[in-house]
Amino acid sequence: MAKIKRRGQAGQAKNYLTRTQAVKKLQLSLPDFRKLCIWKGIYPREPRNKKKVSKSATASTTFYYTKDVQYLLHEPLLQKFREQKVLEKKISRALGRGDVTDASRLERSAARPDKTGKPRYTLHHVIRERYPTFADALRDLDDCLSMLFLFANLPSTSAVPAKMIARCERLCLEFEHYLIVSHGLRKSFLSIKGIYYQANIQGEDILWLVPYKFNQRIVGDVDFRIMGTFVEFYMTLLGFVNYRLYTSIGLKYPPKFDQLKDDQGAELGAFALEGVNIATNGAKAAVGGDAEYGPDPMLQAAVDKLVRQLKEEPGVESEVIVDAEEVPSDALDKFEPVAPGGDVLPQPSHSSSDPAELFAGMTFFLSRETPRQPLEFILRAFGCKRIGWDSVLGEGSFTTDESDPAITHQIVDRPVVQAAMSSEGDGEDNQTSQKVDPNQRYPGRVYVQPQWVWDCVNNDELKSPELYAPGAPLPPHLSPFVKTAQGQYDPTLPLEVQETEAETLDADLAEVDEAEGDEVDNDMDVESGNDDSEEEAAAELSEEEEDEEDEEDEEDEEEPATLQRQRELEAEIAGKAVASKTVDAKTKAKLEARKALEKKTREEAEDLERAKGMLSKKKRKLFEQMQYTNNKKSAEDMKLRSKRRKMEKELAKKA
Amino acid sequence: MGPKSVDKKRKTQVPESESDDELAGRLFDSVLSQSEDDSDFVASDDDEDDDQDDSASKGSQDDEDDEEDDDDALLSDDIPSDLDGEEALGKLLITDDEPEIEVPGVDPKRKDVGDEEKNYRIEKDANGGERYVYDEIEPGYDTDDTDAQGPANTIGDISLDFYDSYPHIGYDINGKRIMRPASGDALQNLLDSIEVPKGWTGLTDINTGNPLNLTDEELELVRRVQMGLIPNELHDPYPNTVEYFTSIEEKMRKTPLQALSSAPEPKRRFLPSKNEATQVMKLVRAIREGRILPYKPPEEGEREAEEEDEVHFDLWQNEEPQDANPMQIPAPKLPPPGYDMSYNPPEEYLPTKEEREEWEKLDPEEREKDYLPQKYGALRKVPAWSEMVKERFERCMDLYLAPRIRKNRLNIDPNSLLPKLPSPSELKPFPTVCQTIFRGHEGRVRSVSVDPSGTALATGGDDGAVRVWELLTGRQVWSVKLSSDEAVNTVRWRPSKDSFILAAAAGEDIFLMVPSHATVTPSLDQASRDILAAGFGYATHGQQQPVAVGKEPAAKWARPGTKLEDEGVLIRVTVRSTVKVIHWHKRGDHFATVSPSGQRSSVAIHTLSKHMTQIPFRKLSGLAQTAAFHPLRPLFFVATQRTIRCYDLQKLELVKAVQPGAKWISSFDIHPSGDNLIVGSYDKRLLWHDLDLSNRPYKTMRFHSEAIRMVRFHRGGLPLFADASDDGTLQIFHGKVPNDQLENPTIVPVKMLKGHKVVNKLGVLDIDWHPREPWCVSAGADGTARLWM
Repeated sequence: MAKIKRRGQAGQAKNYLTRTQAVKKLQLSLPDFRKLCIWKGIYPREPRNKKKVSKSATASTTFYYTKDVQYLLHEPLLQKFREQKVLEKKISRALGRGDVTDASRLERSAARPDKTGKPRYTLHHVIRERYPTFADALRDLDDCLSMLFLFANLPSTSAVPAKMIARCERLCLEFEHYLIVSHGLRKSFLSIKGIYYQANIQGEDILWLVPYKFNQRIVGDVDFRIMGTFVEFYMTLLGFVNYRLYTSIGLKYPPKFDQLKDDQGAELGAFALEGVNIATNGAKAAVGGDAEYGPDPMLQAAVDKLVRQLKEEPGVESEVIVDAEEVPSDALDKFEPVAPGGDVLPQPSHSSSDPAELFAGMTFFLSRETPRQPLEFILRAFGCKRIGWDSVLGEGSFTTDESDPAITHQIVDRPVVQAAMSSEGDGEDNQTSQKVDPNQRYPGRVYVQPQWVWDCVNNDELKSPELYAPGAPLPPHLSPFVKTAQGQYDPTLPLEVQETEAETLDADLAEVDEAEGDEVDNDMDVESGNDDSEEEAAAELSEEEEDEEDEEDEEDEEEPATLQRQRELEAEIAGKAVASKTVDAKTKAKLEARKALEKKTREEAEDLERAKGMLSKKKRKLFEQMQYTNNKKSAEDMKLRSKRRKMEKELAKKA
Repeated sequence: MGPKSVDKKRKTQVPESESDDELAGRLFDSVLSQSEDDSDFVASDDDEDDDQDDSASKGSQDDEDDEEDDDDALLSDDIPSDLDGEEALGKLLITDDEPEIEVPGVDPKRKDVGDEEKNYRIEKDANGGERYVYDEIEPGYDTDDTDAQGPANTIGDISLDFYDSYPHIGYDINGKRIMRPASGDALQNLLDSIEVPKGWTGLTDINTGNPLNLTDEELELVRRVQMGLIPNELHDPYPNTVEYFTSIEEKMRKTPLQALSSAPEPKRRFLPSKNEATQVMKLVRAIREGRILPYKPPEEGEREAEEEDEVHFDLWQNEEPQDANPMQIPAPKLPPPGYDMSYNPPEEYLPTKEEREEWEKLDPEEREKDYLPQKYGALRKVPAWSEMVKERFERCMDLYLAPRIRKNRLNIDPNSLLPKLPSPSELKPFPTVCQTIFRGHEGRVRSVSVDPSGTALATGGDDGAVRVWELLTGRQVWSVKLSSDEAVNTVRWRPSKDSFILAAAAGEDIFLMVPSHATVTPSLDQASRDILAAGFGYATHGQQQPVAVGKEPAAKWARPGTKLEDEGVLIRVTVRSTVKVIHWHKRGDHFATVSPSGQRSSVAIHTLSKHMTQIPFRKLSGLAQTAAFHPLRPLFFVATQRTIRCYDLQKLELVKAVQPGAKWISSFDIHPSGDNLIVGSYDKRLLWHDLDLSNRPYKTMRFHSEAIRMVRFHRGGLPLFADASDDGTLQIFHGKVPNDQLENPTIVPVKMLKGHKVVNKLGVLDIDWHPREPWCVSAGADGTARLWM
């Protein structure tokens, strides 16, 4: 006789464990289990058939794979957790006995990462396990960076120890330094949530969000213990990633950190990078601090000028020499067809601008109202070497003197103050290091708003600064991360290119209506009413409304006739000739075109319905789902287009 | 003896601290000596009349003189009196036997000075040379001190009274009398009393007879004794206990003198301990390995630990790419920000007032986006995003608590899913519009049929009448009322052009008739009547025998009566229960009827030429719904509720059972080529079966919202079929069966014909195709029949 099979003994029931079961099996407390899950990347599973898996009736049970739990069972950290538990027990027992000295001795040996910010265990092996290769680690860096940048900007509380924040900040700045040196930053975007950055490291696109430098509002239902667990893991991860990145470009890690400068708010400037072995590298591989640029800017400018002159003179000769020598380089060669007739192969595009060269050779000055940290980071990452700022923004600037003649660009973000105001306001303005008339402009310098930097970076070219002049209304700042799909609304393109046929017709008709409305007031009501119904019909071309449409069509046919008559009557009363005959003809043609279009769409809908009928049920469901989302998207796009049309019209009117 | 030891101790113990005392002592001594001198002087004065005066005092004075000489000679100091005093005191009081006790009144310094000066004498010896004569050494038990004075009392322990009568008191070592000290007379006494030397007590030493002077210390001693205190101030009556055996144990053992056991010292006490060596080695090893670290103050240790914490090494030094675990799904990345998230978006992304209100009205969880696009004119105006921490936290929660499912997102154009259908224009012709409406029936029209020539239409309705219409014009040309109470359930033309015979079923009766029609020539009419009448002769002659006696015949063939015969109804066949379906055989000699309520006799096959009725199935599994002959081969199909069975009429056996999977089959039709079958069911399904392929449906079509009543193929060579449904519509399909056996038939829905009204949940009840043209006729529950073309 075959063995009797019982429910819950084999199959799915054995493959899953509830959370309680898992915790019991691991002999951990729930918080410890949570930590372990977070670090090891274990997440709950949704069984295909919940009924088969769970014995209980509760719907909201969390299930884990049994294999996953078994995997946790071999984790060395588990032992650490248990030791910690034992220690806690000892402490509580000592306290219960009133043995305070013993308790304090035990307490000293207890790891309290929530207080000190550093545990007694390391997460190295966990990281190695989760990310077997460096590329894996880079792939998962998005959340890591977002989290650490957020924590670097948090105020320290009992839940978030100051040490943790300091470490986060350091790691983040080190990472930024890498990007500056390697010129890995690609895009950046000023959103309402914060600043998004996208970097490309070893072919991997990494996107992260940095909040604006304000005090973060912490809403009540945020559990910082969970966040802290993540941060602990991410800190270790970023530490290793930083090491690998630094060594990959021949830098020593950790870079030298100047506590004093950091205390003075130097941020990026508090680090001094150095090569791995200076003897071979000769000079410092890169420079974080501005110490080198400390010397007199006047002198520097003079030297620059000299160098420029020198360069100009032998320019032709040097080029010739270079050509002759054929200096070998890593860069891709461009394959040009020599003889006609060959096929053209796609080739990796030669980027027109090197990110390292975008701002090279410029000297920036940041006004005190601009956000220094992001600007400094972006400018440096895109090749700018000399950035000065007002001394209230912190230490480490190239110059704090706004009148420095070396400055080529100044970034300002304040409204243009009226002349009368400026003379009054001068006295109060005692925060800046030097008293400058707020409207004062130094000649030979470009004044731009901060958005200029971002738009330049995202478009890989220097935008014309006139658009971004101080106080000028800025052009819209567009996200560089949107991949435009076919048929999707794209604000960069003109409206005419994107409009559907129906929309253009509608728009034209509406225009005509308005024009008519201006001439004949009485027509307005009738026309607008009709217009609405037409739009509606255009928007929802579904089969149910076919009949209605039919009726409407009839109405359409009737209406022009009545209108015509009315117009003639009015003309008679006024004693004029019948006006706008040409317009009428045009409208007629358009109306006809629209009717034809409607008919076409209706037929198409019918065809679609027929074809849909031939699909299997499963495929039909899928198709309908896809269509639903597509329709939603296209409806949104349509809304956007109509809004834009309206605005453009208003603008045209004003003009 | 006693004083000497005292001296020594004094010297060693307090060499300098008592210098003041010393000085004072010296001063004091000098005073004393002076007084002594004085007394000497007095005594010498007395000496003069020593002989004459025999008084004891004189003698004593002499003695004193002698003593003084002795002092010079023997370096016996001038303390004897003191000593005596002390001794007296010793007698007087019970002195402490403690060695430390200082003897009062003794000045050792002065004595030492004397020692140094008078250690020896230089005399002339017999040869006239210098001869050092050393002081005589007083032998003693405890001392080798040379300057120990001679006994002050030489008389021993006897009372001085015995010498009262003598001028001396005992003898000294040289045999000379020790003279009694002068006993003061009254005057002397007075003088003494006037100038009281320090420590004067007015007593006389009982041993020496000298005046007993007491020093301060002695007086203090006396006072303390009198007060009942412990005489020595320094004595601590309650010293700390010395735990003898526990504290001095080690020392005691080590010193053999104090050892408790006389056993010889064991060897292990002299050898280095092996156990200790291992312990030490353990520590050494631990230090070498770095397990034991030198002590550091806690803060420093912390700082170092922190530095150590940030270990830096290449974690991925020898990385090995691993195959991704298929069960492990990486967390999806957050979507990148769109245009509307910009701090300065294009104007069209900004929400209108209504949109804003709507967004604010929604629950935060129901919102599609967690933000509203907003335009800040300048970067300095952008505030902090208040939900930042919360958003991050939610992401964390998602990472660790959200189950992940791999979803295959089809990134394809949905239109690619749609099958490529030929365009309807290619599929033409098919009926599209309602051409004619045939009105006339009261109540529902149950059945329609187009005659084989395609000119006449027969309908049967609930009013019990059969009407014949001109198909194109809709004019009624003929009608007959078959029954007053029963509805005409079905009408069917005999499918041959050489006759004009209509079969209609009302209740249990099947009527065969020859309607009058414009196209019917008299010869055709006569031919038809002949065909019908032929059976009567056969029936009367031949076929009466097989009917068993007592058994009710399957059907009764009879004439319907003169009234009906005048109308053209020529034969009535009465079967056992209500007939719902009539199906003619292609050649027109046989027709099958189905009466679903008839149980065993529900299916009957009638032979027109013989007026004979057969019941082919003794028993049927399930209720028979409908039946049909195969258009080409001698096969017979019977549909029950669930299955359609195919029987071979010659071999009388079951050939095939088709299972459409429908719950309740309403009707079916066989394709003119004979290999395909369409089935309509009351559960809204239309099923296409390829009989060669499988007994399961090849295609299932569910386009109707209500039950399907009737399905029909076009018989005239057009690839069309239609179904009629209770939702009031007809659907026309293009169904092309290819000649090639390997190809699958193409089925394309082409038209949905709407027009019939739904009455009492009944829509279209029957349809029929025109024999040649792509026209079809439908019978509706609204009392009309319609021609579609």
